[in-house]
Order: sequence, then C-alpha cells, then structure tokens
Amino acid sequence: MVSESQVQNKDEPALHIEGLSMRFETRRVLKQIDLQLPAGQSLCLCGANGAGKSTLLRIIAGLLHPSAGKVRVQGYDLREKPQEAKPLIGVISHKSMLYPELTVEENLTFTAQLYGVKDSRDRVKQLLHDTRLYGYRFDRTEILSRGMLQRLAICRALVHNPCILLADEPFTGLDLPSSQHLVAVLHKFHQAGGAIIMTTHDTHYGLECCERIAVLDQAELIFDAPVDQIDRIRFLDDYLTYARQNY
Amino acid sequence: MNSLYHGIKAIFVKDLVLELRAKEVLPSMVVLGMLIVLVLRLVSQVGDLNLGAMGVGALWIAFLFAALLAQERSFAAEQHQDCINGLLLAPIDAGAIYLAKLLVNIVMLGIFEVIIVPLVILAFDLNLAGGFGRLILVLLLGNLAISSVGTLFSAMVQVSRVRGSLLSILVFAILLPMMVPATFALLITFGINPDDMAGTGMVALTGNFRTAVGFLVAFDAIFITASWLLFGFVVQE
Repeated sequence: MVSESQVQNKDEPALHIEGLSMRFETRRVLKQIDLQLPAGQSLCLCGANGAGKSTLLRIIAGLLHPSAGKVRVQGYDLREKPQEAKPLIGVISHKSMLYPELTVEENLTFTAQLYGVKDSRDRVKQLLHDTRLYGYRFDRTEILSRGMLQRLAICRALVHNPCILLADEPFTGLDLPSSQHLVAVLHKFHQAGGAIIMTTHDTHYGLECCERIAVLDQAELIFDAPVDQIDRIRFLDDYLTYARQNY
Repeated sequence: MNSLYHGIKAIFVKDLVLELRAKEVLPSMVVLGMLIVLVLRLVSQVGDLNLGAMGVGALWIAFLFAALLAQERSFAAEQHQDCINGLLLAPIDAGAIYLAKLLVNIVMLGIFEVIIVPLVILAFDLNLAGGFGRLILVLLLGNLAISSVGTLFSAMVQVSRVRGSLLSILVFAILLPMMVPATFALLITFGINPDDMAGTGMVALTGNFRTAVGFLVAFDAIFITASWLLFGFVVQE
C-alpha cells in the first residue's frame, strides 16, 4: 500500500521532533518532547487520558501549531514547508473524515484530487481491492458498517502513498475481525517501508503492531524503548507503573 | 498555484454534488424567498406605498435571508466526521477552502436570483429602466459581497452552539455599510427617481450610480482578499 517513491530523502529520519512544547492558555499539554523515528520504524505511543497523545499526533499532522519546538518530516519543516511535508503524512483518526453522502469511490477520488495523486483512478481501484471494498464502490458511505468505514478511512489515509502513518486510537470501536484486518494493514504498510506512529490504550495491540513503545505521562515523554527489550508481562499488567519505574 | 486550482476545483465539485444529492439548501431558499415576496407584495397594496421601491426592498431582503440559509450549511458538512481536518491535512492552501466554499455560495445565490428576480419584476411591476446590464452588475456585486462575508463568518461560527443566530448578527452587521449603495444602485436600475429618495440619506451617502457601484467593487475586493488571506487563522486550531 506504500510505494518507495514517497520516501524522498532516504538519509533523513521519517520524523524528527525537537524541543516540542504545547500550552493551551496556562495549561501545559506537552513539555520538551524530543523524538526521532527512522524511516520504516513503527512506534506505539501510550499514555493515560489527557497525557497529550492526541495533541502530539495533531501537531505532527500539522493540525495544531506547537508553542515551541520543531517538527520535521523527512527533513521538511512542517511549519516552513507544509506543501512538501503534508503529502508525506497519512492520518487515521477517531472519526473517519469521510462524507456520508458521497459514495465509497467518490470519497477516495476526492481525497486523491486534494493531494494531486497522479493516476488516481488506478490507485483508488487498487486500494478498494486491497481492503475488499471494491464491491461497495458505488454505495454511499453512510450505509457502511463501522468496520467497513474504518477500512475506508485507512484507504483515505493511504491514497496518496504517505511515508508516515499517524493512527490515533485506531482500534476504538472495532470488533475482532476488523481489528485483525487493521493489524494486517499496518504490518503491510510497515513491511513496505512506511513509518507508523500509533496511539492506543490497548497495549496488547501496541506490542503486536509496533517495534518501539513510548509512554507519555503528564505532558512528558517518560519512556521510550524497543519492544524486544520490554518485560511484556509487567508492561501489559500496568504499563504506566512499568514506565515510571524504568524512567 | 496548481495545487490551489486543484483544491478549489475538488472542493467546489464535491460541495455541488453533496447539494444535488441532499437537496437541502436550494428548495428552502426558494420557499423562503417566495414567502418574503408574497408578504411584501400584499403589504404594498396598503395605502399609497411606492411599489417599485417595495420591490427593490423585497429583493434585498430575500437575497440576505436566503443566502444565510445556504451559508449556515456551508461548513456543516465539514464538521460531521471531522471532515474539516481532512481538508486541512491536505497540501492545499487554507485559502483554497475559502474560495471553493465562496464559489459554491455564489452559485447557490446566483441560481436563487435567477428564480426570484423575474418573480419580483412581475409581482411589483418593476420597470428595468437602467438596462439589463446594470441589473446583472448590481446583482453580481451584491452576490459577491453577501457570499464573501457569509462564507467567512460561517466558518468562524461553526464551533458555536448558537451558530445560526450568531451568523445572522455578524453578517448583517458587516453588510450594513454595503447595503446603502447596493439598494441605491438597484433603485436607480429600476428607474426610481433619486429625487424620490430625498430624506433617506442614500443620495447624500452614495451620490450617483457609478459611485455606488465603485463602493460595491471596493467592498468586494477588500473583503474577498482579506477573507482569503485570513481564512487559515479562522479554521486552524
């Protein structure tokens, strides 16, 4: 689902965050976050509600401007060169970002047009085949089930061949088959060289899908380690205590 | 520039398709417009009111209220399922979103004008003394003014619980200085003698038809440019 062509600056990390802080009025939401994600690596971001996970993803996606610090996507500063950085990012959110009155195919074609995708018809067709939605291409999005909608939202996020995928709580509300399908899609994207940052409360999926885990606690990044160096049983039991003990 | 064009085109076509499917906005605009025309036509039969002037008043009232209906819906579809963020994630200038929505609102109000203007001309027995060209010019400039202001404020009030009433208050307040030359220009177009407008202050404020049109052009140019440039700040968190 991801092509090599989008990986433009192979020497640059997929994502480089430097001294990132965020304040909403007097409340500090993120404090001095430094994070680097090499191309083709997957990172799971864990944390309690209000820890700042979604805010961090929204900043990386360019939807929020940080109070301080820089975000670079494959070397492109998100603030200074959004036209170059934004096409490299794909986003799966809590909400589908799809228009219920448009058909499955129209929704994807619209997104492809916004991103200026060449041969958008072929790309849309290929994605719909990959996610087994081709038979529903003329159906309005409003009639799709939650699982099918999530599959379409994934197509929407990947239609422009991003090199980094941001997934904010992607397993929320999905049944087991839909969750397994999502895991398969994430693996496929990762194997094709795409980098992933995923937030989740379900650390089980985090360990299954990602090769690195980071924990945000009270606006700070307190833990960042490869999955194979983590005591899985203790982490799954209480990841926050585990992270604080290993800070 | 290319991405701006592609962005405007994609959003414009998408919004038109959504409206054609839902048929939410245009039918309610037309019904509201007809109701306004009917009520004012009935009222104009009382006493010796100037029928032509009432007709011009009916046109602007219908344009303003019908346009608000369309503008209120302008960003409603984008709020559903967080679609506005889908647009902001794309590598297009935020101004492209404004220009596309503005075009859609201009088209909707334009279609409404095509339906309502002949109706008002017939109902109020208006005489197109100023010529068809002048009528088109004033309607187009008025359409641009109403749509440019309404589109910007529609995006601003989307997060508010009282967006409908807030939108009308903001739009009417901003459009107030534009309505004087717009009404004056349309009165002249329909052959109303400026001497009959004595006491309204319109002649003193506007002068003549050319000045009125110049004011409308300036209003449109300033407001569309400023809205295009400021739109990013309006929709970004």
